[in-house]
Amino acid sequence: MIKGRAISSGKAEGKVLKLDSMFSFLGGVNASTGDLNAGKGNIAGKVFVFPGGKGSTVGSFVMYDLMVHGKAPAAIINRLAETIVTTGAVISSIPMADGIDTDLLNDGDYVAVDGDKGTVEIKGTKLVRVVSSAVLMDGKVLILQRPDNAKSFPGRKSMVAGKIEAGETPEAAAAREIAEETRISVSKPDMCLPPVYVREGDTVWEVYPFLFRVREADPVLNSENTGFEWVSPDRIADDNLMVPLTYRVINEMLRKLK
Amino acid sequence: MHLTREEEEILAGEKGESRRKAMELVVALGKIYGADGLVDITSAHLSGASYKTIGDGGLKYLDDMAKGGAAVSVPSTLNPIGMDRKRWKEMHITPHFAEKQLEIIDLYGKMGVRTTCSCTPYLGDNIPSAGDHVAWAESSALSFVNSYIGAKTNREGGPGALASAILGKTANYGLHIDGNRKPTVIIDAETDGSVFSYSMLGQAAGMAIGSGIPYFRGIHPTVDDAKTMSAAMAASGAVALYHVEDVTPEAGNFDISGLEMIYIGEKELENAYSRLNTAEDVQLIALGCPHLSHKEMRDIASFLKGKKKKNRDTEIWFCTSAKVREDCPEEVKIMEEFGLVLADTCMVVAPIEGVFKRTGTNSAKAGNYLPTLCSQEVMCRDISGLMDAVI
Repeated sequence: MIKGRAISSGKAEGKVLKLDSMFSFLGGVNASTGDLNAGKGNIAGKVFVFPGGKGSTVGSFVMYDLMVHGKAPAAIINRLAETIVTTGAVISSIPMADGIDTDLLNDGDYVAVDGDKGTVEIKGTKLVRVVSSAVLMDGKVLILQRPDNAKSFPGRKSMVAGKIEAGETPEAAAAREIAEETRISVSKPDMCLPPVYVREGDTVWEVYPFLFRVREADPVLNSENTGFEWVSPDRIADDNLMVPLTYRVINEMLRKLK
Repeated sequence: MHLTREEEEILAGEKGESRRKAMELVVALGKIYGADGLVDITSAHLSGASYKTIGDGGLKYLDDMAKGGAAVSVPSTLNPIGMDRKRWKEMHITPHFAEKQLEIIDLYGKMGVRTTCSCTPYLGDNIPSAGDHVAWAESSALSFVNSYIGAKTNREGGPGALASAILGKTANYGLHIDGNRKPTVIIDAETDGSVFSYSMLGQAAGMAIGSGIPYFRGIHPTVDDAKTMSAAMAASGAVALYHVEDVTPEAGNFDISGLEMIYIGEKELENAYSRLNTAEDVQLIALGCPHLSHKEMRDIASFLKGKKKKNRDTEIWFCTSAKVREDCPEEVKIMEEFGLVLADTCMVVAPIEGVFKRTGTNSAKAGNYLPTLCSQEVMCRDISGLMDAVI
């Protein structure tokens, strides 16, 4: 289950139809057929995924009109909800969640949306809970080089990451992974964030980010990684080899730390 | 978001389906704007009244709401509709449009909404007091009551305002919270004191700051000045609240030191004015955006008195509320020599696009919306400038 925010109640399932730009229901869709403009498909019965709404407030009534014609989407997923689509979804009884990274969803995915809990399940994928920790020394973050034969994100660079084991808290998993992979011992995290989600094929990683400040740490790697370096956060931003969202979570944790 | 036990019960459907839907909407909107809970309101003003703007989807929504037994629980008024409910034929409205439009006002009426159909309820039958929390849609009206009266409302949409009216509560965020009503920019302004110059000032200010809360110095707007300025600023920008030094009730409450300062004078007003003008001649002159007040009716009538209409091809509409029209029989008689004195409606929400192509207005708000909502080219002048060609 990917956790977002509940916006409009109800549960529904369907195939994803995704747009990558902000959407206006007024002028963007034919209310009696569900056809999107410019041949972008038909939203009737689909899980309609787009970053957020824009345009005229009349858009809420266009959504109601779609519902009256039986052409409403089965559910709506937004990155960030605004007034027009929220209003339209609630008055038209279309289940809706926001706070979902729309990059996780692809056209044709079969998805279940729970508008009461604000959760999204992508059928046919498995959700794996992992931790990912920024080990911070003198303003630099410990970045590990993943081997070319790694099962996930081969050849990429990451923070200190690993699976959360059954019965383990994310915080305990973070400390354990750091000890196993670098022999650095840490105590309480200095910062953590709610989980973020990264999709890799049929796997959705539910990533719990942590930040630990350390002094005079000297990493000794095990076999899971092939190298390490201490990197300043602004260099992480420009490095394409970093696993997805690395810079975003580091940046957010450092900002909250201040 | 904290809900009381009673509010939780409504959300769980224990007080009926229409109240449950209303609560779900108010809570959802509160959630996306970070509300901590709900706040009691003393009145509501609803938009979403013209068949032209809400269409069949909106009509069906209202029908379903009314059939479900939805009823407002605080005094609630309604925005202008797409026609004068009695004189629609003179406005070139089709019978089909009229039928749908009359259905819409009926449905609002069934829900207990006062169907006075005006954008200036604060001049008549829905006057909030300073400090009141209210849920108002209609950008010009909500800016007026926030700013000139000192009531508290966010920019509500039509269904959100209706949901709040049903519950008598709205989500507590944004401009309901005193800390969010502080000025964000100082505008030192100069006008010639005419109503038209205040409309242009609103246009220029909205263009300059977009959103935010301006603190004006150097002006002393009357009710009519503030009416047109509020409307213009909400159309050229997204201003829902402003303060005017020594004029508006909250202006003295804030420390304005250190705020950015903008100057708006003759050059800026001229620039705002020229942006709105795209037509050289007009087929329709429409006054009353927002709806004409008693004083404006008197001013227009005294301007027209003794004059003759030379150009019979140009139609003239004077848009006001039914109450003001009823209160001003002498003025109406003079004005009807020149055109129609219409109630319930205006040039922006009426379907004029099928009838006219070029419209003259003295309102910056109408100047912004006539091109987009009504496909019009626009001549924007003060009243005597507009009337030059026809009298």
